[in-house]
Amino acid sequence: MTGMEYGTFTIPAFCGFGLHLELDGFRLAYTLIAVLMWAVSGVFSGEYMAHYEKRSRYYLFFWLTFLATAGVFLSADLYTTFIFFEIMSFTSYVWVAFDEKKESLRAAETYLAVAVIGGMVMLMGLFLLYHQLGTLEMSQLCQAASEVKEKGLLYVAGGLLLFGFGAKAGCFPLHIWLPKAHPVAPAPASALLSGILTKTGIFGIIVVSCRIFGADRYWGLLIAVLGIITMFLGAFLALFSVNLKRTLACSSVSQIGFILVGIGMYGLLGAAGENPSMAARGAFLHMVNHSMFKLVLFLCAGAVYMNLHQLDLNDIRGFGRNKPVLKFCFLMGALGITGVPLWSGYVSKTLLHESIVEYQMLLMEMGEGTAAGLGMEAAGAAVMGAARRASGALNVLQAWIQSPGFWKAAEWIFLLSGGMTAAYMLKLFVAVFVEKHPDRQAEFDAMSGCDMKKSSAAVLLIPALLILIGGAAPSVVMDRLADLGQGFFLAEGMEHPVVYFSLVNLKGSLISLGIGLLIYFAGIRRFLMKENRYVDVWPKWLDLENMLYRPVLQTGLPNVCGAVCSLADRYLVPVTVKVFLAVSAAGCRLMDSLADGLIRLARATTHRQLREPVFRREEDRAAQTLGRFLDGWNLAWFRLKGGKRSGREKPASRIPALMQKEEIFLRVGQLVEESFSFGLLLFTAGLCLTLGYLLAVFFRM
Amino acid sequence: MSRMLLCVPALLPIIGGVAILFAGQRNAVAERKLEFWVEGLTVLNSLILGWLIFGAGEGDSLVLFHLFGNLKVMFRLDGMGRVFAGLIGFLWPLAVLYSFEYMKEEERKSTFFAYYLMTYGVTAGIAMAGNLITMYLFYELLTLVTFPLVLYPMTREARQASRKYLYYSIGGAAFAFIGLVFVLSFSATGTTEFMPGGVLDLQAAEAGKNTLYLVFLLAFFGFGVKAALFPCHGWLPRATVAPTPVTALLHAVAVVKSGAFAVLRLTYYSFGTEFLRGSWAQWVMMGAAMVSIVYGSTMAVREAHWKRRLAYSTISNLSYILLGASMMSPLGLVAALSHMVFHGFMKIGSFFCAGAVMHQTGKQYIYELDGLGKRMPVTFGCLTIASLSLIGIPMFAGFISKWNIARAGFTCGMEAAGLGMGAAVSGMTAAAGPGIWRFLPFGAVAVLLYSALMTAVYMLTVLVRAYFPKLIREINENGNGKEEKMKKAETAACDPNWMMLVPLLIFSVIIIGFGVHSQPLMAFLTEIGGAAG
Repeated sequence: MTGMEYGTFTIPAFCGFGLHLELDGFRLAYTLIAVLMWAVSGVFSGEYMAHYEKRSRYYLFFWLTFLATAGVFLSADLYTTFIFFEIMSFTSYVWVAFDEKKESLRAAETYLAVAVIGGMVMLMGLFLLYHQLGTLEMSQLCQAASEVKEKGLLYVAGGLLLFGFGAKAGCFPLHIWLPKAHPVAPAPASALLSGILTKTGIFGIIVVSCRIFGADRYWGLLIAVLGIITMFLGAFLALFSVNLKRTLACSSVSQIGFILVGIGMYGLLGAAGENPSMAARGAFLHMVNHSMFKLVLFLCAGAVYMNLHQLDLNDIRGFGRNKPVLKFCFLMGALGITGVPLWSGYVSKTLLHESIVEYQMLLMEMGEGTAAGLGMEAAGAAVMGAARRASGALNVLQAWIQSPGFWKAAEWIFLLSGGMTAAYMLKLFVAVFVEKHPDRQAEFDAMSGCDMKKSSAAVLLIPALLILIGGAAPSVVMDRLADLGQGFFLAEGMEHPVVYFSLVNLKGSLISLGIGLLIYFAGIRRFLMKENRYVDVWPKWLDLENMLYRPVLQTGLPNVCGAVCSLADRYLVPVTVKVFLAVSAAGCRLMDSLADGLIRLARATTHRQLREPVFRREEDRAAQTLGRFLDGWNLAWFRLKGGKRSGREKPASRIPALMQKEEIFLRVGQLVEESFSFGLLLFTAGLCLTLGYLLAVFFRM
Repeated sequence: MSRMLLCVPALLPIIGGVAILFAGQRNAVAERKLEFWVEGLTVLNSLILGWLIFGAGEGDSLVLFHLFGNLKVMFRLDGMGRVFAGLIGFLWPLAVLYSFEYMKEEERKSTFFAYYLMTYGVTAGIAMAGNLITMYLFYELLTLVTFPLVLYPMTREARQASRKYLYYSIGGAAFAFIGLVFVLSFSATGTTEFMPGGVLDLQAAEAGKNTLYLVFLLAFFGFGVKAALFPCHGWLPRATVAPTPVTALLHAVAVVKSGAFAVLRLTYYSFGTEFLRGSWAQWVMMGAAMVSIVYGSTMAVREAHWKRRLAYSTISNLSYILLGASMMSPLGLVAALSHMVFHGFMKIGSFFCAGAVMHQTGKQYIYELDGLGKRMPVTFGCLTIASLSLIGIPMFAGFISKWNIARAGFTCGMEAAGLGMGAAVSGMTAAAGPGIWRFLPFGAVAVLLYSALMTAVYMLTVLVRAYFPKLIREINENGNGKEEKMKKAETAACDPNWMMLVPLLIFSVIIIGFGVHSQPLMAFLTEIGGAAG
């Protein structure tokens, strides 16, 4: 810790868990940087946004994002970080979608998707973390994490958090939104997106790396490898880009990689028992530096855009000639980011470079990475646990990564990335400030002097000069800044101050610059320029977003799930109902035919009808008897009433009608007798009799 | 006196509704008079309900009459009932206010409001039922009084939808009835009275364990019909043909929440978590809820009709509640209840926004919404808040409940899988379920993640449409040939009047209010959870 006490601030029970803000050296530094950046881009926006409609919407979200960003940097527990982080993601979305053009909306969609997915994954990480550690307070994380015995789940939680924060930072597989979103956002917004919003992701990664994992070899390795890939890939993409702001965006990806390398080396050096503060200081200083560089560079790009409304290098060529302020500022940023001695980027890059070299030396000292050395180092219980589970192939990989040769290669990738940085910055500088536009040069020159307002130029000079001051007097400015920030990394001070301008340190920078010049003259001017025009030879299809993420997320996932769901909706449920109905109908029919079959069986066997009827009687005997009786009765009644005297006719005989009825009755009776129901009826009657008998017996007793 | 008052919130609206129905049939009731009576009765009822909730109804119980032997119709207002009663008591007057404006042009208004009012009483009856049989009675009644509301437009589509609704609901209640019978016969007290922790006689239940699990699942799916659980959800998207106040209040809050509430009662107050925890019934319940969540959120993304999309979203969100319930822990109950309350506000808010747009512009499909964000700023402002809350962005209420559900899932998962501190403390390791099922709660968390992403997609696409309209090509033919211009698609529209806006604004304030300061409510819910889990 720095030994200085700053304030803390809590609102308990806010949003469920309560907000907890805190101020320390790092947070103070970054809050001040945020204030500076917003002030500078705010003033610049005044001119840049003058011709846009919907300015009020822009300013509303501009300042909302400021509050949220400051909240992220001041947060003292990860829950608070998460809340402000989400707010920041959503308010900054409006920046990207601001001009409502097709590509802006598409970029904004990407941005939102990355933000939402990142946010949700991060939330899962927080759940898991909270569950294992029981706290999300940054000051207690370190203590709590060291008490965890089984580290497997902790790695999962850390991985989820890394995904969430890394998405915002622009770390390798999730860097897709930067090259899309930065070119379409208004320039002051791009400056902030690149300069400080990505740093909130880095902020989170620092918390996870330094506070939770600390000196953990595997974690350090993961971050370092991701950093190396990001650093190289970003720079490589930037070389090919022919759009001013897109180049700067790719450059941001690359610089984030540099910072990640620093954070990774922190873990690795710590795990090797070395003082990791050099890496921590390097990472922190590079964060600050990159914020300043990108502020300057994007605002310069903004100055170009607000005059020409174009960003393609072929269109804006030569715009910067005869515009001294613009040229000076851009040059400061370019020299800074390239890492030329005397500019501030040199300081941080030197520290990062030194930390890689130191680790490499360390591995060499440990006996060429022999098994013994590894075994000694891997004595920690957690490490042993992990190593035990690791398969043979993983062991080989691990041994390879632990060999000094690998880190030698890493150092060279670092220098190469630095070289590429020099190359693409040179490309931009030459294109905008040195070369002449084939047709419109006179028009461009006429704009000199009125390209920017005085106020815009003045605020642009502030960060440009800071870059120069920091680089020219590193021990005065940069070292003190690093002293302020390193407490956050839980790093102690350096044992002895770094001599920045020593020959050893200058060598790295000079190698980089040499590589840069080589790439520029042998590569860019040769292969990336055709007939004096900058051409984009990067194949269009080679785009991680369009190749992988969009197909998977936009068509793959919803279609697969949707197909399953609509299948269920359209077929599963109705089919189940139909199957149920069909089965029950079939069952009923089966029972039916079973009963019929029984009857048929009975009729064929036990109930076989005899050929000769058992009894034969007069078919209509009953009808005759009853009819005769009724007729007689009627006749008697007729006579009693007065007979023929009243003039009425004798009543007709009832016999024919009765005969008909009897016939029907007999036929039905026969049917009933032969039916299954009759058997049941008889059975029931039998049961009733049995019951009656039982009851009788029961009551008699 | 206060004991007798317990039956008032359930009976008053029913009697009022019947009276309006008869008065409306004999002679057309004047519009003003109708509005006065409906709103008056609703507010009065809510006030009585509020008075009972805050203190007066504490611990009392009222037996209205005995059906047969131990089967009695009985009202009691315990903690969980209070939460649900409070929710509907708060929402109903606002929804009625909204419906006056929405239904202004419609015919047969008195019929509509009569049933609307009756539904209030029946839902209050469910909330205040003191035992399973009373709840079951009101549950059946709910189907009968809401059925005419679905039928209300009287179109062919509405007739089909209402028939489907009827089949599903009555079929479901039949399954629930099985549960009722078994609870009664295995009950330790011989009654079905709700008790925290369940009423089962555990020794007797242990013998017929697997049968009881099966019966529990039957009853769960039976009550799940109203909660739009996956295989029984078919009626809900269809029922969106009903007027928006019905879809919003009944099919996003009252009816579906009654289903979820009944499941909670069944799980925590009748069968008891002690009996169910770790059993295969729990895993099936959890699995069903997970499938529903995935299904609902995916289908919502694919649906272009706004109200149907929201209905699918309801399917998914209702299963969040059931998922919380399926954790069978105090935390799970807290999570379920909090999502029940918060989702009520978020979803009714979203539906009212959709209704406001339909009422003002007649637009029903999402691709027709271009540029409305600027035309109807208040409506879409409220929709933004409701959407962000549904996704689960911090500072809004939805985040709190989703956080709790996921936390319950993690705890449950840790306990079931025998990991972490929870296991050691509660000694659950031995009782953990069989094999791979133990990891189901972790799957639940993954499902939550997936669903949150889908929610973001289906809610945000609406907003993006409304705020950032697509450019359409406009070709003007004039003297100098064709002139092509990109123009923003826009429609003439404006915000509705205060009767629609006031409820929306109140919901928005509440969503943010709970999002920022949920402590008192959560403390109250934790108390309930602690007793019942």
